[in-house]
Amino acid sequence: MEHLTKETLARLVDERPNPEQREHLSSCTVCALELRGLRRQTEALGSLPDLRPPPGDWVGLEARLMSEGLVDGGSRSTGFSVLFRTGWMQAAAAVILFLGGTSFGAAMSGDLQAASDDTVDARVAGVPQSVEDAAEAVYSAEQAYQLALVQYGQIERRGRTRNYGELLGRAATLDALLAATQEAVRISPSDPFFNGLLVNTLAEREDMLRQISSTRDGGWF
Amino acid sequence: MTEATLIRRACQGDGQAIRALYERYAPRVYAVVRRIAGDDDLAQDYAQEAWIRAIRALPTFRGDARFSTWLHRIAVNSALQALRKTETRQKREGPMPETIAVSPESSDVLLGDRLERALDQLPVRMRKVLILHDVEGYTHDEIGELLGVAPGTSKSQLFKARGKMRTLLQALTAPNGQEEVEAWSI
Repeated sequence: MEHLTKETLARLVDERPNPEQREHLSSCTVCALELRGLRRQTEALGSLPDLRPPPGDWVGLEARLMSEGLVDGGSRSTGFSVLFRTGWMQAAAAVILFLGGTSFGAAMSGDLQAASDDTVDARVAGVPQSVEDAAEAVYSAEQAYQLALVQYGQIERRGRTRNYGELLGRAATLDALLAATQEAVRISPSDPFFNGLLVNTLAEREDMLRQISSTRDGGWF
Repeated sequence: MTEATLIRRACQGDGQAIRALYERYAPRVYAVVRRIAGDDDLAQDYAQEAWIRAIRALPTFRGDARFSTWLHRIAVNSALQALRKTETRQKREGPMPETIAVSPESSDVLLGDRLERALDQLPVRMRKVLILHDVEGYTHDEIGELLGVAPGTSKSQLFKARGKMRTLLQALTAPNGQEEVEAWSI
């Protein structure tokens, strides 16, 4: 007995067999089982789940959106806009900055720590329980930091000398952003957005601590 | 925030809104482009291109279809076009192996992984038709339009693809993989 071809059997997944094929299928176990296997295969293909993009996918897309001018660079950006423009994107650097930044921060004066702690407490009051809450907290903290940056920029443009207290204020808003981002990463450890933001916030903080340190060394105290 | 609001804001370049749309639909977009591409690296490029096209085209979205359907169609078109370019380049640069190497077997490989791996090994033309029809649910008329072939050609490719897929799946069945034996053995 000649079996039905694979193509014919594959066609019978969608179409009705003709009388001849029906008769064959009723008497040939091999072809009947093959057809059953093809039907299962088709069902399984139709039930394949969606796939999560690899980590870092959004970061690449965001960079492209920005380079093509498809994202408004203003205050309602995704959060990467200010911090990613600083160019601190290397993962290795992130680790170093994390360790370095943390220890540097711990060594900072009580003034800065107190200012930061107050702001952090204020900003992160009510620990977020969901990713949405965390994202909202990050967004608010970033807005505050951007505002501080704008104010600081205006002061500089007016030709005033940099003021240690103003730097501390700016640092406090950055610390609040850092705390919100760390909390977001704790809630959603594999989120590339939060991780990327954390990397860049730490880098920004490190840079600022250096500025503060040099300002102090420059004779303010 | 409603989808309509997100879309309106994304049209205006609001990064938060674009990010929210991405979070909502990235797995769907990535799944279809990954399967069409048959390769992780290509898939990431194709997905990015699909999103860029979609964001650019957002002002043309009138809401006649669901946003997910509109986005999905852009992703499919974009991936097919990108794959065509990749194929042309590969032809110019020399023949590519027809199949992608299969990673070593392990007892805990899920059935879905086997399906994905078998899909990756299908010749491109068969893969495109099989994915569009059996995975994504397109009709032969729609596939014919997307691929620029007659619906009959789409059907014929589909039947060949199913047969080839079955052979590939049987070859991928682990010797002691009970799950696969139950699901795929004849």
